[in-house]
This record gives sequence, structure tokens and C-alpha cells, in this order.
Amino acid sequence: MTSLGLAWRTAWRYRARTLLAVAGVAIIGALLFDMLLLSRGLLASFADLLDSEGFDVRVIASEGLPAMRVPIPGSADLADRIRGMSSVRDLALIRMERARVRRGTDRPRVVTLVGRTQSDIGPWTVVKGTNLPVSARLKARAPSPDPSAERGASAEREASAERDRDCPVVIGRNLATAFALEPGSSLEITATPAGVASALPSVVCRVVGLVDFSFAGVDEYAVATTMDAFEAIAAEPNHGDADLILVTSRAESGGGAAAARAIAELRPDLRVYSNEDVVEQFNRNGFAYFRQISFVLSSLTMSFAFLLVATLLTVSINQRLGEIAALRALGLGRRRIAAMLLWESALLVGAGALLALPLGGVLALLLDHILRQMPGLPERLHFFVFEPRALVIHAVLFIITAAAAAAYPVWLTTRLPIAATLRREVVG
Amino acid sequence: MQWACHNPSMVMFVAAMACAIALDAAPDVLVSRQLAARAHLTVGETVTLAADADGARARTFRVAGIYEPTPDPMRFTAQRIEGRMHLPDLIALTADPHDPASTESVNTINVALAPGIDARRFIADLASQAPGVAGAPTARSRGDDPFAVLDRFHLAISAVTVVGSTAFLLALMVIRAEERRDTIAILRMVGISRRSLLTSVAVEGLVIAIAGAIFGVALAFATEGLVNRIFQTRYDTALVFVRVTPALAWRAVAVAAPLGIAAGLAASWTLLRRNILSLFRR
Repeated sequence: MTSLGLAWRTAWRYRARTLLAVAGVAIIGALLFDMLLLSRGLLASFADLLDSEGFDVRVIASEGLPAMRVPIPGSADLADRIRGMSSVRDLALIRMERARVRRGTDRPRVVTLVGRTQSDIGPWTVVKGTNLPVSARLKARAPSPDPSAERGASAEREASAERDRDCPVVIGRNLATAFALEPGSSLEITATPAGVASALPSVVCRVVGLVDFSFAGVDEYAVATTMDAFEAIAAEPNHGDADLILVTSRAESGGGAAAARAIAELRPDLRVYSNEDVVEQFNRNGFAYFRQISFVLSSLTMSFAFLLVATLLTVSINQRLGEIAALRALGLGRRRIAAMLLWESALLVGAGALLALPLGGVLALLLDHILRQMPGLPERLHFFVFEPRALVIHAVLFIITAAAAAAYPVWLTTRLPIAATLRREVVG
Repeated sequence: MQWACHNPSMVMFVAAMACAIALDAAPDVLVSRQLAARAHLTVGETVTLAADADGARARTFRVAGIYEPTPDPMRFTAQRIEGRMHLPDLIALTADPHDPASTESVNTINVALAPGIDARRFIADLASQAPGVAGAPTARSRGDDPFAVLDRFHLAISAVTVVGSTAFLLALMVIRAEERRDTIAILRMVGISRRSLLTSVAVEGLVIAIAGAIFGVALAFATEGLVNRIFQTRYDTALVFVRVTPALAWRAVAVAAPLGIAAGLAASWTLLRRNILSLFRR
């Protein structure tokens, strides 16, 4: 009989303790697997969220919280210069303001109002209806050399500007639910700029689509519109400066990092970040707690799994010293006994580690649900994200644990004096 | 000027007088321990501060003291490179000369309400009297407190750990019960009842669980300082990361005791329910 066969028979003979040991390893393994998912989960999810926008460079006036952003001086001119760079494919100007939305006699809601110059890609996904129309101001930046085509384009721009004045908006799903809004519904928006006393008139806007905002919090109400409509709501006589410029770079010109460097050279007074820079900064500051807790708990769970299996094997071997001495007396070599114990450890740890994967998946959903209740967290951000590397680390750690847990029992049995043990067992 | 002020023996009497006047005139600033360490500042030194990145409109201040910033769990990863000065000095340093209103503006006003005044009511009254001013209570409600969420997360992890530990304890108790199979058979033979044996097993489980819990609490208490020191050094903060309180210790013992008893009883019950002959493998 092979060492694996002997190990299997031992496990089968002591079914209750085997099952309990496997259950213990599975539960601890599930926690370890979850900590591995957590160790990079938030970072991977955040990077995915940034990449899903389609922009890879962000330009802001100063560091700080998004709510405390200050306008970028001369943003329109800067946008023209950035658009002319060979490493840049596209860009969007973003403005944000606090506003109040009212519909009928319902209680008004405070919303984040977003105005942007471009609509084909963006930090939202249309779930119902249509996207915002392309801004008239954006179209005005691309004159045609053909006079007849230019006349047609001019008419189209006027029609587009008319549509912008109509104040088309896309709204988040929670605002749609709160006011029972559908594409085609209308609502009144009043800008309430922070820090200044204002009594601006309401503007009636038309909902063109329901969207999922990438960065909107679970309990946040958000509304986006074209830049012209935004300025109409804010009652601004002139074009205001943007709070944020989003840029899409050309991969063939060096990607986001090269574009960010070039833009930073244009305006050294501004903060320019590629997506990699943002993720790196997030990794250094916002993510530190979860990286630490993941490291501490991974270490603890591995120690716990090692202690569990090593103790069970040692106690089990102490019970079976006579049996092992008899096997040795029958001619089984030390290596075979050692191999049998290693297989026993591998069976306990392997079965537990395999069970830990589905168990860890379910537990990750539960823990993710708990952590995502944090206030102000983007709805699409997750803490536990599966990556193949987590599976590889999980397997490697458990192989090391199985080998380490079997080390002491193996040492014990290979040094076992056969005759003395058999005599002690018989006399005992 | 700073060089001269720091080398009074090297300058003439007139220059020394000018330094003394300048130092007397310089307003005070407190700097954080982290800033003092990074900029090699000591109490009594003069520093030049400017709100503009290009150093325009700079003013000289005297370091009146070094303080430990109040630990903030929301910003424990942030480097506390900061200073404190009197509000008129800050306004003089940062005010926009082209904006007269900037000398009369502040970012935030902290208000301590009289006992019995409802903060939300006060904020509503303020909003009606001063449109555009946004008020917020400093006390967080359970719903918008990120630490309440972290508390639930830690509780869930603890629950999983307890379930894993219980399986571990149960496996050990099963092995231990198997070891004492012959002893139990003899005790049953001499007339000791199942109830007495179960009680003894329950007491044994209780003792093991409480001893384990006390060892765990003692270990946590002993390593508390080490863990805090590691994280405080890592993040250069005075924030306390781990604190073993009596309530926590009692909670650990209260959870461990019933689990120990249950594990002992469950493991022994498989032997005690059998008849005596089967315990002797007959």
C-alpha cells in the first residue's frame, strides 16, 4: 500500500476529527483568501473605475478633496492648447456645483450638479434613455474648410445650442427613484453655490437618460448636464473656469504618463496626474489601513492554520505511536512513515484549502457589503476583488503550512524506538 | 538677517538691536512635532512663511512652541506638516490685497452650543438667518460614521475567527475524549452516572476555555504596546491603534466560556451515549 493509501485510511478511520480539522482549516482558509482579495482589492477596483471612464490624465488646480476643488484659471485656453498636443486624443472640461432639485410638491433634494463639454465617453453608464447631446460649444471648435459644409455645420450648431438651452440632464438612479423620474420627465434645478449667499432662479430641465455615475456615492444624488446648460443654471454671463480637465492620451505617443508630463510643462502651477499617479497616491494614503489589516490578518490566519494542523497531527500521532511502531516493525521504512504523515497533513490542509475558496467567496460578498456601507463611497467601488495572484498565493501558503505542520510529527516518528514503544504499548 | 540674528557675537551693537526689535515684532507660530523634525526647527527660531508658492508676501514668525497634533483617525496616513498661529496673523499672511472682503472672511466657525440646545435645530435656524452658510454637527450619527462600519467589519471577522476556533477546539476535544475512552468505560462500570461525567466534562471545557481566553487577553495586553509602537512609528502619529479595555476582555471571556462548555459536551456525548460494553470494544 502506498503512503497516500495509508494516509487516506487513517483519515477515514478518524472521520470525526478529520472532518472537524478540515472544517477548521476551511474557515480559517476562507478568511485568509478574503484577506488576499482585500490586500489589493480596493486598489484594483479603484484603478478599474478610473480606466472605465476612458480618460487617463486629470488636471486640477490644487490638491485636496473633490468638494474643495478650486477652478483652473484660464481653463478654456488651456483646453485649446492641450487639444492641440500630439499626445492627446480627446478632452473634457468638468464643472461641479451644489444644487437643489425640486419636482412638484415633493421635498427638494440636494444634488451634485456636473457640467461637462463632452458626452460620448464619461464617468457614467446610460441605463435608460439617451446620453447628453454633444455640446454646441464643443462643435464650434472644429470649423470646416468647405463653406457650404460650414453653413450646414453652423445651422447644426445653432440647433445644438437650442437643445442645450433646453437643459437636457442625465440623472442617477437613486434620484430617479426618489422623484419617480423617467426619460422625458422635467425637474427644476436651482444652483446653490457653497460659501456665498445666493437666490438664483430655478431652471426647468428635461431628463434625457438615467445613468449610473461611476464616482457617485451610494446615497448621493447626482445630475449631469451640458456645460452651456450648467452655466444657464448657475446664471453665469461668461464662461466660467473648469474645476477639472479630463484628458484621453494617445497610446502611440507614450500614453497617460507622457501626456501628463507634457501638460505639466504647459502649466507648472497646476496638478496633473495620470491614472497611475492617482492609483499610486491612493495606495500611499487612502488604502494603507486595508493593506495593513490584510497583512496582519493573513499572518494570523496562517499561524492559526499551522497551529491547528500541527497540534491535531501531533496529538493524533501520540495516540498512534504503538500502531506506527508496529508498522515500522513490519518493515515500513522511516521515509514511508514520513511520507504517510505528510500525506495526512496534505489531505487535511488540501481539502480545507479547496473548501475555503467557495466559502471565502461567500464571506467576501458579506464583508464587501459591510464595508461598502461607508458614507460617500462610490457605488461601483469594491473592497474584495478576485485576481489570479490571490489564488496562487493562497495555494503556496497552504503548501508551506502543510509541510511545516507535518515537520514535528515526522521528526517524532522517525526517531521512534520500535522495541521500547511496542513494549510500552503492550504493558500500558 | 536670519544669519545675523543667529550670530549675535559677530555683529555690531546696532545690528543686534535691530535683531532684537525684529524678533520682538515677529508674531508667534506653533509648529507640529513633525514639521519641527523635518525642518530642524527649535523654539525661539525665526521662520519665514508665505501663502504663495513663489514666496511673495512672506512674513517672519518666531517659533513659540512645538506641539503634538491631535491624532485624527481619518487622517492617520497624512503627514502632519502643519503650524498654528493667531487668526489676525493668518489673515494678514493670506488675505488677497485686491479683495477687501478677504480680511473679514474665515473658512469655518466652530460653535460650542449651550447645554440642551439641539445642534440640528440650531443649524436650521442659522440657515434661515444666513443663507449660503452651511452648518454641520461635529458629532457623527451611526449612519454616517465610517468607524461604525469598520467596527461591524471587525466584528464579522471576529465571528469567523470564533467559528474557526470552535472547530479547532472541538477537534481537540474529540481526540481527548477518544484518549479517555477506557477511563470513561471504567468510571461508568463503577457506577458514576452519565450526568456526573457530563458535568465533569463541562467543567473541564469551561476551565480550558476560560484559561485560553485569559491567556489570549494577557497576550493582547502584553503586545498592545508593541503593536501601537510599530504603527505609531510607521505613520509618525500619536494615535492609539490597539487598546485592550476591560469591556473587551470580559466580552472575550463571555464568548469563550459557553463555546468551551459546548465543545466539551459535544465531544464527550459521542462516548457517553454508548453502552458500557461498546466502550470496552465488546
